[in-house]
Amino acid sequence: MLVFTVLLSFLLMHLTSPEREEISIAENLIRDIFTPLQSGVNKFRYNWGGIASVLNNKEVLSQQIQALQKENQELKIENQVLRESQAELKRLRSLLDFQSDSLDSYNLLPARVISRSPNNWYRYLLINKGSKQGIKKGMPVISPEGLVGQVGSVSKESAQVNLITDREVAVGAILQESRETNGIIEGRGDSNLLHMINIPYYSPIKKSDRVISSGLSVTYPRGIDIGVVKNISPEPSGLLLSADIEPVVNFDKLEEVLIITSFQPPEAIQEAEDSEN
Amino acid sequence: MRYLLLFLLPFTAILLQSTIFSFYGIKGTLPDLVLVFVVFFALINGARGGTIYGFLCGLFEDLYLGRFIGVNALSKAFTAYLVGHFQDRVFKENILVALIAVLFSTFINSLLVFFLALFTHEIFNIDMNILIAVIYQSIYNTVLAVPLYLWYYKSSYQGILRPTGER
Repeated sequence: MLVFTVLLSFLLMHLTSPEREEISIAENLIRDIFTPLQSGVNKFRYNWGGIASVLNNKEVLSQQIQALQKENQELKIENQVLRESQAELKRLRSLLDFQSDSLDSYNLLPARVISRSPNNWYRYLLINKGSKQGIKKGMPVISPEGLVGQVGSVSKESAQVNLITDREVAVGAILQESRETNGIIEGRGDSNLLHMINIPYYSPIKKSDRVISSGLSVTYPRGIDIGVVKNISPEPSGLLLSADIEPVVNFDKLEEVLIITSFQPPEAIQEAEDSEN
Repeated sequence: MRYLLLFLLPFTAILLQSTIFSFYGIKGTLPDLVLVFVVFFALINGARGGTIYGFLCGLFEDLYLGRFIGVNALSKAFTAYLVGHFQDRVFKENILVALIAVLFSTFINSLLVFFLALFTHEIFNIDMNILIAVIYQSIYNTVLAVPLYLWYYKSSYQGILRPTGER
């Protein structure tokens, strides 16, 4: 019996180890059975959290309101400054006939997180939008804080979003301020920290630097916040550095995400233009 | 009814692990309740039945996860086979036996998943964080196994999980 199960398991692993464009009928069916149940459990947990907060200490709540009001005022001021800068940027871009690739130029589809990976090996979220709503494998996923990940597999009613902390995900990244240091950010899979590799030894990288997507990979648009440099260490070769990056997104508390449904990598746009000409 | 419950246990385990437990991990580590039920089954029903049940539960988990199908099927089948081998030589009524079985099974199962992940090129090196996660998961599983085994054992000999022929 054991020999039979070992052989069957290896056969299944062999058949499913290459990159698959679509999941099988059985996987699709199981996921669609789980989706409404997970939505229900999630809704219950969410409502329970609401009831619990009402029962919370009144003093704690009033302190939270005060802190939020203060933050709101600061954000309003920051927003005014940013709106001015954006208008200026638009004018300058139109003067230079520059193709805009800022986030507001993409179509964003909001989705609710209904569940998370049930084991410690994978880091993913399941969202309540699937192929029925036009979600496709490979679409980038963000939140208002920054980069979340990429759509890994899609069923009719739901989609699996592989987080940037997952081992299977890698993102091209640069330092936001200096616009230098092209590195690759990899998920570690076993913690919420990210690992940035391939950093040249002469890089000006330092602690607390902000890291954003470089746009060099075909998967993600550029300029999306990824995280903050926590530690820098030399690689054994001595020619390269690596860094631990703390993501800006708190993946454990993520309730909603935004899927970029209209992103086309620069090469794809170039190819389309070439074929038109 | 017994078979329905044997199916519902791993089903509910995955449902809870992907929703409620994902917010109550020990330093981000989740328990593996599917494995806990597989170990209980193998301890009470032996190596042959345990291997089949472990394989089916692992396969169900693999199909839900939708990546490398067969990894959990093989690791859980093999772990259940090992536990089932000791079935006749231990006092199953002693809860400590079940807890020790869950503790060691979590280590063995994690080790197998790790080597299979190396085989499928999902991971390339062993990391201290992986070992720490395995330790946390072993403790988490063992703690949860206390109330679960009390119910499972009673149900296997006097309740709904008792094989039909023995009623």
